[in-house]
Amino acid sequence: MTVVIIAIIAVIAIWLVFTYNFFVSSKARIKAAVQEIGNQLKRQADLIPNLEEATKGYLRHEKGIFDKLTEARKAVAEAVKSGSIQKMADASAKVSSLIPDLRVVVEANPELKGAEVISKLMDELRDTADKVMYARRLLIDLTADFNVKRVSFPSSLVASIFKFEEQPGLITPEDEDVTKVKKEELKTPKISI
Amino acid sequence: MRNIYEAVASNKRKSTLVIVFFIAFVTLAIYFISFAFSLYLGYKPSAFGVFGLALIISGFLCFFSYYYSDRIVLAISGAKQAKRNDFFNFYTVCENLALAAGLPKPKIYVIEDSAPNAFATGRDPDHAVICATTGLLDKLNRTELEGVIGHELSHIKNYDVRLQSIVAVLVGTVALLGDWFLRIRWHSSRDSDRRGNIGMIMLLLGLLFAILAPLIANLIKLAISRRREFLADAGSVAITHQPRGLISALKKIAGDLEPLEAANKATAHLYIVNPFKGKDSRAVSRFASLFNTHPPLEERIKQLETML
Repeated sequence: MTVVIIAIIAVIAIWLVFTYNFFVSSKARIKAAVQEIGNQLKRQADLIPNLEEATKGYLRHEKGIFDKLTEARKAVAEAVKSGSIQKMADASAKVSSLIPDLRVVVEANPELKGAEVISKLMDELRDTADKVMYARRLLIDLTADFNVKRVSFPSSLVASIFKFEEQPGLITPEDEDVTKVKKEELKTPKISI
Repeated sequence: MRNIYEAVASNKRKSTLVIVFFIAFVTLAIYFISFAFSLYLGYKPSAFGVFGLALIISGFLCFFSYYYSDRIVLAISGAKQAKRNDFFNFYTVCENLALAAGLPKPKIYVIEDSAPNAFATGRDPDHAVICATTGLLDKLNRTELEGVIGHELSHIKNYDVRLQSIVAVLVGTVALLGDWFLRIRWHSSRDSDRRGNIGMIMLLLGLLFAILAPLIANLIKLAISRRREFLADAGSVAITHQPRGLISALKKIAGDLEPLEAANKATAHLYIVNPFKGKDSRAVSRFASLFNTHPPLEERIKQLETML
């Protein structure tokens, strides 16, 4: 009989230890999750301006070449129309001078074109935003687990003994705006590019 | 309409139920077979000798496949490591979802095959591996890929490889015991114990279990596998909060009837969709469907749609 009682007490004690450990380790993980959000936001802040510069730089460079090419093409067309040999020679020299520049662009990026550069930029932007969102989601999930355990029986007993407070999680402004839909928001948004 | 948390909790409950039933059944089977065994062999029915031997053999055989599951499966599937530059979507999706699930980032591999499929393996989250075919990566867009990878990560998070290994050890033990019992020579009386009434009943029960238990244990193992698939689906939605992604991914994979070359029977249960699809996979009879490692796709899609 005493063995049974001791066994029951042992089981309860073990459960107590597990539950207490869950609460305190959850709290620590929530702190870590908050830091992770900061981590992702910093990555975003570091990455996006640099991506922007790199893309603009490439597009400007490309645009420069295309502008020169367009000019050269126009000069050639004019020269052909006017029929003057000198003008045609000048125009063709102009086009030839562009070939080293073009070669640099093509050799450096054999498969890159402007559209691909932009598409890569968009991919990186989406990925960065996703990372921030998922870091927040982890925080929300950890907080939910903690708060649910805090109020469900029997772990609520442990929570009240050791006075564990409700974790705030991802702080969203609780004023009117978040839970209500405004009239303007009911209309379908239109995109104009 | 179910919310995501309720879906995950409900799946966990059902899966626990099946596992508890499995353990109870296996315990009974081992008890009866070992009892009958020891009755037959003439020593006092302590039964642990034979059972212990079966457990050790079964455990030993299964241990290496469990411990090195990641390397073994990769080796036989011919997978190559995926680089961020070549497989940007796949790599970043794995990274992001591992972050959301609170898991370390798993190792990422790709198989060159046009049949769309994916699997996850590894003895715990620190040694986890996710692998997808190039067919899958080509056919799915990023949101659908998130659904699939979320499913795989849920498997890792729920320690499904470990669970299946333990289940396999127990099924193996029952199978070994049953096999040995059926092979001992049934010659005439040796011990008066066997001729008693209780002795006969126990012998008969042992015989019954020896014949049926391996099959039934296997069926329960497959039921566990199906339950864990549902749980992984719910877990995927819990991470991504986008059931539409997984639904449309499953529909796309289901619509493709090409069998996966790299798969074989040993690894079939790891994939997100059963890689052995044939024309008759739709017309499978109710009995044969008990042997499926995965629940039917329509059923999975129905469950997911309740979470929309």
